[in-house]
Amino acid sequence: MTISRRSVLKGMAAGGLAMAGGPFAMTGSAFAAREKELNILCWEGYNSAQVLDPFRKKTGATVKAESLTNDPTMINRLRAGEINVWDLINVNNPWARKVMWPEKLIKPLPKDEFEPFFAKMLPMFKWPYKWAMSDDGKELLGSIQRFGPYSFVVNTKKIDRKTAETTGWDLFNDPKLSGKYGILESDDWNVFNIFLVAGIDPFKVHTPEELAKFEETAKKVFKGAKLIGDIAAMNQALVSGEIDLHLTGGTYSVSAARADGYPELRGITPLKGPLPGGKGGVSWIEVTSTVNNPNPTPLAVEFLKYVQAPDIAHTVAFAEGTFNPVAQMGNPDCFKLFTKKELEAIQWDSLDEEMDRSVEYDIVPDYDKALDIMNAAKRVRG
Amino acid sequence: MAQTSLSHPAAPVSLEAAPALPTKRDALLSLGARCSLPVIVLLAVGFVAPLIAIFAYSFAKPRTFEVFRSFTLVNYAEIFNVNNTVWLSFLWSLGFAFATCALLAVIAYPIAYGLNRVFGKWSSLVSILFVFPLFVSENVRLYGWVLFFIKNGVLDGTLKMLGFEGGPQVLYQPPMILAGMLYVYLPFMLFPMTLGLAMVPRDLIDAARDLGANRWQIWREVELPLAMPGILIGMLLTFVLGIGAVAEAKILGGQSVIVISHDIFIGALTLAVFSRLDLDRLLGRR
Repeated sequence: MTISRRSVLKGMAAGGLAMAGGPFAMTGSAFAAREKELNILCWEGYNSAQVLDPFRKKTGATVKAESLTNDPTMINRLRAGEINVWDLINVNNPWARKVMWPEKLIKPLPKDEFEPFFAKMLPMFKWPYKWAMSDDGKELLGSIQRFGPYSFVVNTKKIDRKTAETTGWDLFNDPKLSGKYGILESDDWNVFNIFLVAGIDPFKVHTPEELAKFEETAKKVFKGAKLIGDIAAMNQALVSGEIDLHLTGGTYSVSAARADGYPELRGITPLKGPLPGGKGGVSWIEVTSTVNNPNPTPLAVEFLKYVQAPDIAHTVAFAEGTFNPVAQMGNPDCFKLFTKKELEAIQWDSLDEEMDRSVEYDIVPDYDKALDIMNAAKRVRG
Repeated sequence: MAQTSLSHPAAPVSLEAAPALPTKRDALLSLGARCSLPVIVLLAVGFVAPLIAIFAYSFAKPRTFEVFRSFTLVNYAEIFNVNNTVWLSFLWSLGFAFATCALLAVIAYPIAYGLNRVFGKWSSLVSILFVFPLFVSENVRLYGWVLFFIKNGVLDGTLKMLGFEGGPQVLYQPPMILAGMLYVYLPFMLFPMTLGLAMVPRDLIDAARDLGANRWQIWREVELPLAMPGILIGMLLTFVLGIGAVAEAKILGGQSVIVISHDIFIGALTLAVFSRLDLDRLLGRR
């Protein structure tokens, strides 16, 4: 391509349009037919070239994906008018049926086309799988793929697995471990976990006394943390020996380090805790839904079917950055693609029991209040 | 038009019409304004628009993207709420920025002096050594520091290998954040200061010495005032960068303190400082 004045001007105009097309300029415009266009709002993994390139090649479509690491932010973007922009949204389990469907931000999937996929998933996702369906059980609101237990991570050379599982969240109440743990920064999960360290079920409306206990625990937990950081910082600190364990973590955060040759780092699900049924852990299951875009693309449903294929599901499980089990491992054709090392990385040996000991991610009714308390507690740690 | 040219000679008509057009245009936009239009548009889109957007966010409902569609003063009430601990973050950021600024002035001055007066032919090489790290992303450099200082990392691991006790545990503490800021912002203080010192005429120093001034007097009354424009610009740059610094606290400090990195605050501060700063005067152009 030769660069001429005209092409430069065209490029500038396109750039200007792209800049104008931010969150404020996306309402109500009539798009042309979008047969060859797909926009995905997701957690990291679905935005990787490994996953998207074969689909682009197969369909000749322009596929754009943006990854965020916070469910409410993604949903707020749809609420703010980006419903016209995105075709697929990939968030944790409760949001589809509890928030996005009642607010008409997403639309149902054709049940007859997707039920066969559920039949091949791991038994825990048996049709009709609760989090994929609407409250009344009539509509299928999303497709299932990645999931995992997510409580905390320990270096089993420093604290053995049995001790960690038995002691559970009280590890973070132990003064002896003060200064020896990190906190993986994540607003919602940190809120859940601090409630759990305080011995309180996070997924309910809390009394003022419980919130006071939450505040006290948050201050103590943040004060005692050696560092607060992202997944890379936590894994690096665990590997180097700066910390022995970190709050908020599991397969999703530690699998990459395990795959890199540190199997002693392990996601732990406590044997017991303050959750219903005496459960001690929290797990997450991603639900990917089609956005209620006024100008939909047929590629949205096609993409959801595409990622169900055994080889693509395996690619999604091991997409760059974070490795996770996928529901499609229930299909022997998919399962056989996982090597022994990969199964070790995602803690396949204890996956079932850890999921059993966990309650599924849910919405904290008084989340905003708890988050404010937690952020204030974080600031006084210095 | 044809009739006009028939009834009047052509030349006077064109003479009358010609100056009239530019005058009309001049009234709309002066030549200078027209020439600066591309830059004004660029600044409006790239600098003013984001600031307006951030300002608008401050009136949006908390934790939403409802900019320009909701209006609330809750965010401001929250900031000025005495029970809120945001002031702590402001305090840390201000403290770090002042400390960075003051310490860098002291650290960079001898180097700038050396670059001008002492290093001679080596000055270029020394300058390049200070510039070179700027080609590497700040985050990458900070992660490099982490690898250097982390337990069993480059320093600790090497010392242990050599039979020593191991290196000091300095990561994830406030002093390390300051050290990171000093390292990252050193060139922003050093180069304006070097330029400032280069503006001090050698003859004036010689004259002062001939007239009996001692070293202290020469520095205090000749060198420092004449180099002040460069020093002030260096301090301004490091302060503004320092108050918005967040990577050092996150990467080196492990968020041992939570700093404020609020663009609108920095924007307002920069505007306030620049409106009082006469760069022409500082640079000695008048």
